[in-house]
Amino acid sequence: MEQELPIIQIRNCLLVSIQTELHDRLALDLQASLMDRVRTVNARGVILDVSAVEIIDSYITRILNDIGKSVRFMGAECFIVGIRPAVAMTLIEMGVELDSVHTALNLDLAMERLELLQ
Amino acid sequence: MKTVEKEIGSILTGTISSITQRSIFNRLGGLATTPVQQLTPGDRATILQELENSIRLFARSNSAQLIASCARALTPGPGGPGAASGPSSTSGVVMAPKKLAIEQEKDIATARLEAWSEAVRIGLSKFASVKVATAVSELARNIIFYATKGTVELRSLKDDKGVMGLQIIASDQGPGIPPAKLEEIWAGTYKSQRGMGKGLVAVKKLVDEFQLDTRPGVGTTVTCMFKGER
Repeated sequence: MEQELPIIQIRNCLLVSIQTELHDRLALDLQASLMDRVRTVNARGVILDVSAVEIIDSYITRILNDIGKSVRFMGAECFIVGIRPAVAMTLIEMGVELDSVHTALNLDLAMERLELLQ
Repeated sequence: MKTVEKEIGSILTGTISSITQRSIFNRLGGLATTPVQQLTPGDRATILQELENSIRLFARSNSAQLIASCARALTPGPGGPGAASGPSSTSGVVMAPKKLAIEQEKDIATARLEAWSEAVRIGLSKFASVKVATAVSELARNIIFYATKGTVELRSLKDDKGVMGLQIIASDQGPGIPPAKLEEIWAGTYKSQRGMGKGLVAVKKLVDEFQLDTRPGVGTTVTCMFKGER
């Protein structure tokens, strides 16, 4: 099953809406293509929308953190937006941290904060 | 000729997220790719039962209407009350234990959704059900990562006070966890190559009862329990 997550560019931000199961290879591909795009378009920020993701476990958290770290290494900022309340509660209870990314309630607020950061 | 997946997908899109749709079709297995015209009445009943359970859980609105549209889409020709009456007679609380094979990555998603529906069905709260699904996700992922295959069993239990609970038994015949590594895991110092090395610790924190039985070279069984509120 060949698939790739579409990366949308809005001004100098890259946006990915995660609508599918993030498995190993897909996550690595996403990370690689995001890195590529950050460089070619001089992106200031990367926003990952997870509002359609009903369950986030420690593995997905690690993927999100990794993407956040690599984006930061390149000098851009990474935002995770739209985490569902039940998902947030579960992450807290599990004791896993989303510490390599910023979070925002929604896309709008993430864009706003990215503008302020510049 | 349209397949079940295409037909149902077009009805559900906009109401049920594509991730959830994917899981539903994964659970239907070969039935999802069968052309609608070639379904037997038995197939149709199975699909509708599955859809009814999932739609009740996940649809943002109009679940009854959606189920009816799905039933219509699957029934060849006009009318066809035979298929539509299938699900209502078979739905209800299923108490039989469910054993799920975990053999490929997509089975993780299936197990997760299955656990979620079971949790909701026995009356656990919305948050508790997400916790159940997350725990099953961690356990199933461990099986795929470390043992390549195994099973996850879901058992709805009622205690002597009449409180419902969900027991999850994840077991495999994988390499087992050596004692030294186990110590690192509980101390929180273990870092795995692929995960955060925190899966087991996370599960232990999420559940009400936790029991780990691991023997190097023999396999690992994790038994945990979510209790409902009284």
